[in-house]
Amino acid sequence: MTEILQYIPGNGILHRLNPVTKVVIVVLIVAMSVLTPSVLFLAGLILVIAFGASVSGMHREISKQIPFLILLGVFLLLVTTLTIQGGTTYFTLIPASVPVIGGMLQVTESGIGLGLLFTCRFIVMILSFHLFIVTTKPSELVTGLLAFHMPVDYILMFLIALRFIPSLQLEAMRIHEAQLSRGYNPGTGVIGKVKSLRPIMIPLMANSLAKTQVLGLTLDMRGYRSKKTLPFHELEFHHNDGFALIFISLVVIAYFVHHFG
Amino acid sequence: MILASSLSYTYPMSTTPALQEITLSISAGELILITGPTAAGKTTLCLALAGILQHELGGTLTGHLSFQGQSMAEYEGMSQLNQHISMVFDDADAQLIFTSVEEEIASGLETRLATVAQRRARISTVMERCDITHLRERAPYALSGGQKQRVAIAAALAMDTRVLILDEPTSELDVRATGNIIEILRGLKSEGKTVIVVDHSLEGYRGVADRVVELNHGRISRQGTFDELFPHPQGTLKALYDDPDLSPFIPPAKEPIVRIKDLYRKYGDVPALNGVNLSIYPGEFVALLGENGSGKTTLVKHLNGLLRPDSGIVRVLDLDATTEPVMTLVRHTGLVFQNPDTMLFADTVDEEIRFGLTNISTPNPDIRIQDVLRMVQLSGQEQTYPRHLSRGERQRLAVSCILAMEPEIIILDEPTTGLDEAESDRMMALMKSLQDQGHTIIMVTHNMRIAEEYAERIIVMENGKVSGDFTILQRTAS
Repeated sequence: MTEILQYIPGNGILHRLNPVTKVVIVVLIVAMSVLTPSVLFLAGLILVIAFGASVSGMHREISKQIPFLILLGVFLLLVTTLTIQGGTTYFTLIPASVPVIGGMLQVTESGIGLGLLFTCRFIVMILSFHLFIVTTKPSELVTGLLAFHMPVDYILMFLIALRFIPSLQLEAMRIHEAQLSRGYNPGTGVIGKVKSLRPIMIPLMANSLAKTQVLGLTLDMRGYRSKKTLPFHELEFHHNDGFALIFISLVVIAYFVHHFG
Repeated sequence: MILASSLSYTYPMSTTPALQEITLSISAGELILITGPTAAGKTTLCLALAGILQHELGGTLTGHLSFQGQSMAEYEGMSQLNQHISMVFDDADAQLIFTSVEEEIASGLETRLATVAQRRARISTVMERCDITHLRERAPYALSGGQKQRVAIAAALAMDTRVLILDEPTSELDVRATGNIIEILRGLKSEGKTVIVVDHSLEGYRGVADRVVELNHGRISRQGTFDELFPHPQGTLKALYDDPDLSPFIPPAKEPIVRIKDLYRKYGDVPALNGVNLSIYPGEFVALLGENGSGKTTLVKHLNGLLRPDSGIVRVLDLDATTEPVMTLVRHTGLVFQNPDTMLFADTVDEEIRFGLTNISTPNPDIRIQDVLRMVQLSGQEQTYPRHLSRGERQRLAVSCILAMEPEIIILDEPTTGLDEAESDRMMALMKSLQDQGHTIIMVTHNMRIAEEYAERIIVMENGKVSGDFTILQRTAS
């Protein structure tokens, strides 16, 4: 089973960084990716993330995302080129020779440009967020977010949402096996597929809802909701944090130079 | 320590009270065992004693409840009470939140122990105590049921609170692990901690529990010392394979219905089955025993094609279970999963059973449904919503869903987990009658009492191998 968005134990640079440093870096990277109108700069950011992943031994994590990102890119490009038009028209998807609808669905300069921009932006956001989650222990995540005075309840909601992903995967597998044992036959065609979801989805939902109460109570019993004071002594900053912050500052400077220089 | 007087409670959205007129006084340093049939209010009582009912769940609570001489309602809520009380809930999986066992145990300590060194020391101590040191880096959600329970107990122990409440902490543990947990509880008691534990398997608590409280329909029906309430042994404690009534299994001179040869299977890099060799003969009632994680469930999943071996031979009747599609195999091997809730999805009992029958297109489904409902004593419940049935009834419904498909072999994975003794015996009586009708029964269990009382042949698994194969003498004699 491949696990989605789960912490991967390791001892790379990203693992050893202080969660606060990581939050700062992710926020800066995402902010720059949203603000920049330059595909070139976004490509640079992707390289920065890839660099960060490879120095901390997480390159396999990044490369595993590639098929999904390509799919996303194609989808975004298609949607934007078809909906946004402007600038030079390169060609039309329906040749001009076709009567009535001929010459429709133009592929234009700004359509492609915007499509590329969106694609790169999403790649930057997804990769940086993904790297952050897989290299940060949930308890550090809580501490890191608390340091920015995020409300405890929201942080716990986020934590529980992450926690439920592998549980749901496992549970779905178990339910699937249980139904297979009753001769369950995943249907064919769209309607069949939707209909055949019922024996899986209903137990999955019902069982997960039943778990939430115990999960919430457990967090209460461990004193998570009363975590008003932050154990700051735990947030040790090391040289690595310094280097990482200097590095990201350089990227921010590059951002300003690129756009305003 | 904790005092309840004429405490009654009704859950929100419910009309019948879950607890009625409970009067109970628990002093510091006492170990109280709470027992009683399914749905007697044991879990509710635990939640009440932990202060959770009052502060988190709502509903109607009447009567008086105090903790350390102060009314429970006067506490600020769980954020204050968790400094004094910790609780292990019955659903082990739902209370494991973090990504490694170590972090799970550390999670509650951050607000309790100031330095990292203190926390490390505490974590190591409880991990050793609960025998989970080797699981330190593992992800809790990927552990076996028994391992999860031990991690949940360790996480609660780490808090070092004055009161510890455990709701069925050993339901998925084998004899050895259960004994170990009871030993830990005994140790806590001698340290002056107050321990409240709910359990179905009782014998281990003889001489350990100061008092036994038996609940029935939300009321305390009996209360007293262990020996007063249960003067006779409650099931066996020793590992069954030391039993003098066991003799090595001698294969009969007939064709086996299941034949497994040199079966190997890995999960990723972790070997689960290490060369299993086994034959099962028609009409046998086999109990498959073994410690948590010994490969029992993995083995039975090979019999209906849910898992395929890495190498080896699995033959069921005259079918090759390593290649034959699941659809074909399920007509001959019915596998009932441990938790009935993993399969129940329909709006009515009738529809639930019909699902399997439609899948394999059985002729005359109506007659079959009536027949199996009679067998599992659920006649008249055809139109009930399955999830409104009690746990025992749901388990029987799950069996009937498989039974309706008329497989020659019926496999039950831990059929008695979460059932009280009366319900367990009822389930086993059903299996016995199925055996008399010619079915072959294979039961995966860690419940020695059930195995000893009902099975004829006992197969023991250890580290993915069959380590023992016995016949129970008295059974064959009678």
